[in-house]
Amino acid sequence: MKWLITIYGTASPTDSGASGDFTLTNTDAYGTFSLVRIPKGLKAKVWAKRLAGTAGFTLQIQASDDVTVTSPTWYVIDSEHMANAGSLELEKRRPIVVQARTGKEGIKLSYANTTGAGTIYAVVEVELTDEDD
Amino acid sequence: MDRDSLGLVRSGDYLTVFIPATESALVFRVKSRVNEGREVFNYGPLPITAGTSLPTYEGTSTTVPADGVLPARSYVRDGISFTSITGMENVYTKSDIWYLGEDDRDRLFHVKMYVYPPIIRTDVQIPSKVTQGRFQRERVITGVDSELGFNRGFIEVIHLPMVDYGYRFGNDTNLNLKTFVKFVYGEYLIEIPRNADLIFDIVTRKAPSYWITLPVAYIDTKIADSLVRVYGFPRDSLGFKVYRADERSNAVKEYTYILKQLKV
Repeated sequence: MKWLITIYGTASPTDSGASGDFTLTNTDAYGTFSLVRIPKGLKAKVWAKRLAGTAGFTLQIQASDDVTVTSPTWYVIDSEHMANAGSLELEKRRPIVVQARTGKEGIKLSYANTTGAGTIYAVVEVELTDEDD
Repeated sequence: MDRDSLGLVRSGDYLTVFIPATESALVFRVKSRVNEGREVFNYGPLPITAGTSLPTYEGTSTTVPADGVLPARSYVRDGISFTSITGMENVYTKSDIWYLGEDDRDRLFHVKMYVYPPIIRTDVQIPSKVTQGRFQRERVITGVDSELGFNRGFIEVIHLPMVDYGYRFGNDTNLNLKTFVKFVYGEYLIEIPRNADLIFDIVTRKAPSYWITLPVAYIDTKIADSLVRVYGFPRDSLGFKVYRADERSNAVKEYTYILKQLKV
């Protein structure tokens, strides 16, 4: 089983130093969501990232071992910084993998902005699969 | 046995439907496929209506936010059937497009259901509301609402006439999923071979046949009634029992007795 989902987020931080989590959308999902919970036994593989927006925008992919608690503990598993305004498109030959051991694991997208107001966009392609390779 | 590129049984080949609960098999020869070349049926979203209340994996309930959307962390407890869509109003029963009546004993639906997104858990109740998943005899009931006993995104079944099947779905992600169902199906014109030796060879896997195991761990009266009334199996022999390879004479004797009573 493989399901490739393209998750999309946009934010408009108003000043430098702003940070936060993207509110996400996906064409297979009804409504918005803030994270992707990974069903038990499956893996989330992050294959590609696309960033656009202002200079100084950093996209972080964060993972948690338990998103069911009130305040999950998140750790950064990937970070991409845009030094200049414009867009970045990155595909990975080997994906970032998050294995769901309990079914409570999840990932989310966060941003940090270092140079002032602007709109930023992030698109991340995640595959949820039960296959090993 | 080779199937065609869609995974369906070719005309002239044999189809064996194994029923674990009875340790017996139904053996059919597919005389022809009525919908040859037109096997793909894009059904559309799951027939789940906005406003329906569904149980969740957390033990609460949630409401379907829009037609065809399976809410986050929810599942369908009582199997649903696929209602007729535009242009299919004349099916045997509008509430279930795969249901065939007693008089349709000469045909079978071989249904391969693909659900999108494929992460959706699937299982099937035969008949509807009778969960068939078992672990360690009757000790544990399994299925989409359990930790085991389900597929993701796919189910393959043979629809027996006079039995309503209940398809169940589960969404253990945190997203409200917009769903879509594609069927690949064969509407077979079938017969049961009249040669007891051939049936023995098929059920002992000496003769080629495509085997499909129906997820039936418990024989409900609807299944028994179907096998008796539709095909004519004796109530004490609901199918061709799978004998050991060295029990040919006993098997052939029993099969011969059964074959004399069959209607197809």
